[in-house]
Amino acid sequence: MTQLDVLSPVPGRVIELAEVPDPVFAQALVGPGLAVDPVRTGPVTAVAPVAGRLVKLHPHAFVLQTDDGAGVLTHLGIDTVQLAGEGFELHVAEGDVVAAGDAVVTWDPAAVATSGRSPVVPVIALEATPSDLDGLRPAGPAEAGDVLFTWAR
Amino acid sequence: MDKAEQILAALGGADNIVEIEPCATRLRTEVHDSSKVDEKALKAAGAFGVISSGQVVQVVVGPEADTIATDIEDLM
Repeated sequence: MTQLDVLSPVPGRVIELAEVPDPVFAQALVGPGLAVDPVRTGPVTAVAPVAGRLVKLHPHAFVLQTDDGAGVLTHLGIDTVQLAGEGFELHVAEGDVVAAGDAVVTWDPAAVATSGRSPVVPVIALEATPSDLDGLRPAGPAEAGDVLFTWAR
Repeated sequence: MDKAEQILAALGGADNIVEIEPCATRLRTEVHDSSKVDEKALKAAGAFGVISSGQVVQVVVGPEADTIATDIEDLM
């Protein structure tokens, strides 16, 4: 069994998924995890929470798949698909392999909030069960790169 | 039937779809008649969950949503 550390992609405040204003994430329908309410001080570069291949890359969301097949979804804000990529600058392409902590997307959480949407960033262990996750970081401040939780694989 | 065909049928068929749009985790669908949507059949087709609000039905299928949406559009 391996232990996969899943890092915070953005600086901000860790919150429970249940507090995310979207039922799909709040009910952990695609998997358990945590969310980060990002700082609102201007553009933020979201980094890769794990090492792996970018199997899905949207401007506002991306999925990394690790070598052993774990999928981690990072979703930059809620309902941000409606922004159609406006305000999101990609540093990588779908299919690229990245290291944990590499820059993926630069965006502005404050601008998302101004548009009337929540900029909260759910970080999801896709198709995991809650008991697979250990050491969930308690609510409170976190920097990009801090460990959010450890996924037992 | 493949997954896209099952989901389309469970949404009441092509005639019931106003719009279907993929997000990172889900298909956002607007239907004409939400009573024609079969949640059990959607889950049997592999949906992790279904969130309905009036005529908007969100079918949670995970990160394959964009592929499934393309397949459904090909069927319509």
